[in-house]
Amino acid sequence: MRIGIVCPYSFDVPGGVQFHVRDLAEHFLGQGHHACVLAPADNDTPLPGYVESVGRTMPVRYNGSVARLNFGPVTAARVGRWLERGEFDVIHLHEPVTPSISVLALWAAEGPIVATFHTSNLRSRAMQAAYPLLRPSLEKIAGRIAVSEDARRTVTTHVGGDAVVIPNGVNVDRFASATPRPQWQGTDGAPTIAFLGRIDEPRKGLPVLAAAMPQVLSKYPSARLLVVGPGDAETARERMRPEVAAASEFLGAVSDEDKAALLASVDLYVAPHTGGESFGIVLVEAMSAGAPVVASDLPAFLRVLDGGRAGATFRSEDAEALAAQIVRLAADPVARAALSEAGRRRARVFDWSVVAEEVMAVYETVTHGADRVRPDGADTRWTRLLRGRVRGGDD
Amino acid sequence: MDALTWWVAVIAALMAAAWYLSYNAARLDRLHARVEGSLSALDAQLVRRAEATLELANSGSLDPASALILAGAASESLEAHDERAGYQRPGDDLLEGQLFSGREVAESDLTQALQIALTAPVVEQLHDDPGLAGGPALARVRAAALRVQLARRFHNDAVKDVQRVRRKAVVRWFRLAGHAEMPQTIEFDDELPAAVGD
Repeated sequence: MRIGIVCPYSFDVPGGVQFHVRDLAEHFLGQGHHACVLAPADNDTPLPGYVESVGRTMPVRYNGSVARLNFGPVTAARVGRWLERGEFDVIHLHEPVTPSISVLALWAAEGPIVATFHTSNLRSRAMQAAYPLLRPSLEKIAGRIAVSEDARRTVTTHVGGDAVVIPNGVNVDRFASATPRPQWQGTDGAPTIAFLGRIDEPRKGLPVLAAAMPQVLSKYPSARLLVVGPGDAETARERMRPEVAAASEFLGAVSDEDKAALLASVDLYVAPHTGGESFGIVLVEAMSAGAPVVASDLPAFLRVLDGGRAGATFRSEDAEALAAQIVRLAADPVARAALSEAGRRRARVFDWSVVAEEVMAVYETVTHGADRVRPDGADTRWTRLLRGRVRGGDD
Repeated sequence: MDALTWWVAVIAALMAAAWYLSYNAARLDRLHARVEGSLSALDAQLVRRAEATLELANSGSLDPASALILAGAASESLEAHDERAGYQRPGDDLLEGQLFSGREVAESDLTQALQIALTAPVVEQLHDDPGLAGGPALARVRAAALRVQLARRFHNDAVKDVQRVRRKAVVRWFRLAGHAEMPQTIEFDDELPAAVGD
């Protein structure tokens, strides 16, 4: 099958959607399909062979945060040419309601179109204002996918209709085969606890964990907190109580291999997020690596943890409850081993091999008896005119 | 304003109205095509599901009682499909006359038969014993049942889009939908047996 994937966010910076697109494309290529990704990127960013760049992005304030996107007639013309050249059986757009190449591709294409909705916190105001404009092109989407139940709710309330839930995939084997490193392994009486996420973003929950640590340290004075993630370590340290700061090691942003090894080594992985999470991919990564998981009871996390069977949970933002869970598990190696085992089994459900098979089922359903994707016939004259003019100034 | 300006204004307004009508007609046409496509995809996957179920029933890997239940439900589903196909001549509009009607019961029955027959121990045995002929058939049942769910959901999405656009005043007043019947959503039980789902 010839698959065209459109990623709205720039490949210059790492991000959830970009990783999703990359892993999906690589999985299909590995299966012998033809997969091609269209994404923004700077000219000097090294790109895998299957990614085609539509040029550099501009920072745009949209939906409450600054996103790096690109749009405008030159970009639209490039998207149109990509569609024409690609002769795709299906195109798969990600985040089709961002002002980006995804919406441009949706506008320009006709034929089997699949769209994946990632976000769970779409602001309704922007949507409602742009609705009459977007509606007719949203009608072209033959198969809608949401990466989580929360993202699906966003689709049903803001876009209308329904979506099938196909979660994010994780390369389970990459984490499962990681070898533990002694410097991150705990000992009896000196457990190691891992935190992953931006340290200066409160909703990732580092303050909650920091508030729980004094109780843990009073029981296990040599417990160590390993903090992984970008952000200013000094500021975070200053906000902690002195004994907690002393027990914490800030590792900064680490490579994928280091992250896997860390998760394979630690005694506990804590996800104290306070909200805004639609899926919790890091939980699946931790479970794959065999780290026993303690997570806040966000709906998205409960679903990933199979209702709490694959990981321990505590009431969100309740530092006391978190401390109690940590202390309980630190004292009980049997319970930790059971959680680790349950987590490893649960993680398989989110492996790319399973997830990509479901995405392929969506492609097969929407391409059944359908023609190839082609540039929209209704406005060819306009696009031709535009393309002709832009090509003159562009190339 | 002189007469010429008036004429120009009237012609411009007429052209805008014509463009708007043809735009909406094209939009509706595309939506109708999407509904037809999703209906034919659903139809194909239902046939595939019934055929795979028959294959599983006849594989000899199930106990005879379960096999009978599955074979019965699967052939009902195939019969309902053939009956429908009998009315239809090649080239007929799939939407014409809502030809899906009546098949919901047969398809729900097949879903329930699969749920009764494919219990966790049965599925485990089919998975673990590569000597059983039912293993590959079960995989085909699973694949088809998953695609039935997708196709029905996508179809109902498309139907809702058509219904919404056809409620628009401009579509009703100018009869942009022509003689095409209003498509209806298709409701039946398509849940995968719990043991097969994971």
